[in-house]
Amino acid sequence: MSKGNILIVDDILANLQVLTKMLIKQGYKIRPAGDGKLALKSVQSILPDLILLDIKMPEMDGYQVCEKLKADDRTRDIPIIFISALNDVFDKVKAFSVGGVDYITKPFQVEEVLARVETHLQLRELQQKLLAQNQELEASLEHLKITQQELIQSEKMAYLGQLVAGIAHEINNPHGAIKSSLLPINDFKNYYVAQLPDFLHFLPEEQQQAILALVPRILAKKGPRLSFKQRRQLKRKLMRQLEQNQIKNVAIVADRLEDMGIYDNLELLLSLLKSHESEKLLEILYKLYDFQNGLETIDIASERASRIVFAMKTFCRFDKIGTKVRIEIVDNIETVLILYQNYFKQNVKVIKQYDSSPLIMCYADEINQVWMNLIYNALQAMHYKGTLKIEVTQQDNQVAVSITDSGEGIAEEIKDRIFEPFFTTKPPGEGSGLGLDIVKQIVEKHEGKIVVASKPGETTFKILLPIGST
Amino acid sequence: MSKPIILCVDDEITILDGLKWNLRKIFGDAYSYEFAMDAEEAMEVVEELEQEGEEIQLIISDWLMPGKRGDEFLIELHQLYPRIVKIMLTGQADKDAIERAKTQANLHTCLLKPWDNTEFKNALTSGLDKFHLNTDSH
Repeated sequence: MSKGNILIVDDILANLQVLTKMLIKQGYKIRPAGDGKLALKSVQSILPDLILLDIKMPEMDGYQVCEKLKADDRTRDIPIIFISALNDVFDKVKAFSVGGVDYITKPFQVEEVLARVETHLQLRELQQKLLAQNQELEASLEHLKITQQELIQSEKMAYLGQLVAGIAHEINNPHGAIKSSLLPINDFKNYYVAQLPDFLHFLPEEQQQAILALVPRILAKKGPRLSFKQRRQLKRKLMRQLEQNQIKNVAIVADRLEDMGIYDNLELLLSLLKSHESEKLLEILYKLYDFQNGLETIDIASERASRIVFAMKTFCRFDKIGTKVRIEIVDNIETVLILYQNYFKQNVKVIKQYDSSPLIMCYADEINQVWMNLIYNALQAMHYKGTLKIEVTQQDNQVAVSITDSGEGIAEEIKDRIFEPFFTTKPPGEGSGLGLDIVKQIVEKHEGKIVVASKPGETTFKILLPIGST
Repeated sequence: MSKPIILCVDDEITILDGLKWNLRKIFGDAYSYEFAMDAEEAMEVVEELEQEGEEIQLIISDWLMPGKRGDEFLIELHQLYPRIVKIMLTGQADKDAIERAKTQANLHTCLLKPWDNTEFKNALTSGLDKFHLNTDSH
């Protein structure tokens, strides 16, 4: 078994032979080279573990050979021991500065030569081991980082799955409303284009004026919605008034007027309602009203749909680069609340207290997850019935977000454990137990803090985040 | 006020408007249309109208609403007013809720939002036919 591969460079054959014999005896593999050129050629074919290098050589001296070897990446790390003659001027400073690690002087002391060779070979071996270990560790670290990211991602996906049902509802509603809105809009288009021009042409002047005067009222912004009892009362009054004015088909007329939110101030209308063409005249007004309503509905519905899509996009964004961005903390929380809207509809009262909304530098994607996680936990803790309070305040250069639920609370003995990975109070299969661990990691990544306070009926998770340099 | 009534219940006013337009298109002035924004208001409306001697023939109710959900509401309603035909409307299908409404409230049918206009028309006309069948046989 070879103890190592050594290249010996010396222009004097006798020296080569002495050293070769000495070292072969110890079990080393030797490659001799008679000058610098041959030495450099030799390293191209086989990389030695160590080089013994004579200094005084014709053409290329030892220092030059050494410099060349150190300049090449492949050979840079090979330890070089200089050989100098006792009566030669030996510049130790130069020897070490060009990269040599040691020197031996002729005549050689066998034990000394062997000792130095052995030492440097061992050193080299250790260096290589260390390098290999480092590389392994770096690879492991990378792998861990990726795994961590994957865990965070899969937690996210789990949440998303749960929310999809509620979100489908949120999108289907506006969709249905928009579809329905097309009815009055198409109706209006057909009516106003096909029938109305002719009809208006033959209408008496004063009726034309009355219609025009009523249009602003028809198109005016609607007031707050009245309760059923209020509507009922007003309708009865309206119908009495219509009867008093001997209007025909009181029930139908009252329906139409009620639809348009008209219960009184009937002066302008009465002349129209009393005419022969009352039906057609009323039609002009309520088709216009429905048309307007249709447009407004589309407006509202499409805004709702884009809000939910935006919230989802925000949540699903894959931030591979992971750069910090400046976001408004309240906006960020509101986005998450949109996604949870449906859970709130069912017996959950949401109290929001935003004392301030500072801008903070953060990994928006991950901060989203903090709110998702805490709000979800809160909802679960109260079994989807109760009060959820969200407060945002600014304390010095920190923003404090408190999420409070009215659930039964966290027992004193497990309070310290809740952030442990895989610790969960839920039955097996429900929840990974990683939620709070991930929350903690994200908060710490932002140099923030989590504080938990709990008593039955009131549990608060308070997240403190530094606002960060602008 | 003696026209038969169709009552619509949904927490979104845009949906209620949409239903109104759809119903008007199909039935015109043959029916009176009433609207409520949650189960509580809907119950109020039903009680008030029944007291006045009006006839509610059909109720279309959303499932996901604040307070009481649609299936619960329709089941309660069925106990008090079994003759009213009930249709549930939903943006997402909760299979259990629909099952419950079918067995405990005699749900006529369930429509998903957004609905197909033909499907909607069929659901309503068949529902109203059912009402007449039940009333006539009494």
